[in-house]
Amino acid sequence: MSRSQPPLPPDVRALLDHEREIQPLPATVRARALARAHAAVVAGGNRVATPAPAPRTRWAAAAAVFCLLSVAVGASAYQIRAHLATPPSHPPAAAPVQAPPPSVRSAPIAEVAPEAPAPVPPALSRADAARAELRLLRQARAAVAREDYAAALPPIAEHARRFKDGRLTEEREALRVKALASLGRSADARRAAAAFRARFPRSVLLPAVNQMSPSGR
Amino acid sequence: MVVSHLCLVASPAPQSTADEACLHAFQNELDYVYRTLRRLGTSPSEVDDLAQEVFLALRRCWADYDTSRPLRPFLFGISFRIASAYERKRRREVAFGVVEVGDARPGPDEALQSKQARALVLAALDRIPLPRRAVLVMHDIDDVPVSQVASILDIPLFTVYSRLRKARRELESAIRRLLKEADAR
Repeated sequence: MSRSQPPLPPDVRALLDHEREIQPLPATVRARALARAHAAVVAGGNRVATPAPAPRTRWAAAAAVFCLLSVAVGASAYQIRAHLATPPSHPPAAAPVQAPPPSVRSAPIAEVAPEAPAPVPPALSRADAARAELRLLRQARAAVAREDYAAALPPIAEHARRFKDGRLTEEREALRVKALASLGRSADARRAAAAFRARFPRSVLLPAVNQMSPSGR
Repeated sequence: MVVSHLCLVASPAPQSTADEACLHAFQNELDYVYRTLRRLGTSPSEVDDLAQEVFLALRRCWADYDTSRPLRPFLFGISFRIASAYERKRRREVAFGVVEVGDARPGPDEALQSKQARALVLAALDRIPLPRRAVLVMHDIDDVPVSQVASILDIPLFTVYSRLRKARRELESAIRRLLKEADAR
């Protein structure tokens, strides 16, 4: 069918031939992508996909934002006037909420005990437990993302205490390896990585864990 | 969107066999999805998120996929639609001066080894408008027959031919220009 098409010059064709070969992704990228896909399936939703709003909706949203901004500017102007009219009372500045100083040694390495029952408090429904698990691991994940590895350990320990065999155990233990390895606690990280390998031999996070654990480096 | 080191994933297995099959297919073709998105102009910083959108779209329309047919053209169609939406968004943002610099161009003294060749092709593809680039990538790189290109991209056969002709010319001139720029450095 392409006989009517001018063929590509041989040198361009040769360059395209290089591009035909699909290079394998780095293990961490692959693990991350599959973990996200897996999470989306388990969550049963499609929150990651955020289709662009229709143009009409966009205009309506822009108009709403403009109205809100106008109100906010008006309110601010009024407040500034009121503030200037009265002597300042120097209210204490809101201090950023500081997490208690994490004790690096406070997080024990989880022992592999698949037969142990999950100590989910009976008051929690299944959905509440899932939310609580997610909340704890989000804290740990956020700490790891901002490279505050010591701060990741308390929520990990808390998750291990409350949800020893919870739905997100795999991620908790991967985060633990990451945090310990990044804190330079090589022996602990190695033990955590070995426990992870033994417990989740087919995990999509295994390549990432192997890369993090000191024995894998 | 910040992508953290590790993303949360629940331990239980996927809920249905369809989900499982979809996840399995995505896993097998992950490298292809990422490369296709890059070929279609997705920046490295966005490719993770767009790959997830491809997965979610694949999952939504998994029932429409005829498993007796190759998966890659089907995935390409999804990737193309998502990359097009992304490009529209990016074009709006460019108005505010946010222009992302593409991949590293081959240096003047570097031999065009495989890696540099791929970088060069990617940079050249980036200079071809997306609708024509999609046709060229599908037909000239992925070896998809033109009739199937027309069907996947939902365009007439004649349009496929005309886009392919133009895209090839554009690719060639983009490559020549990039090589000349590299030599001039």
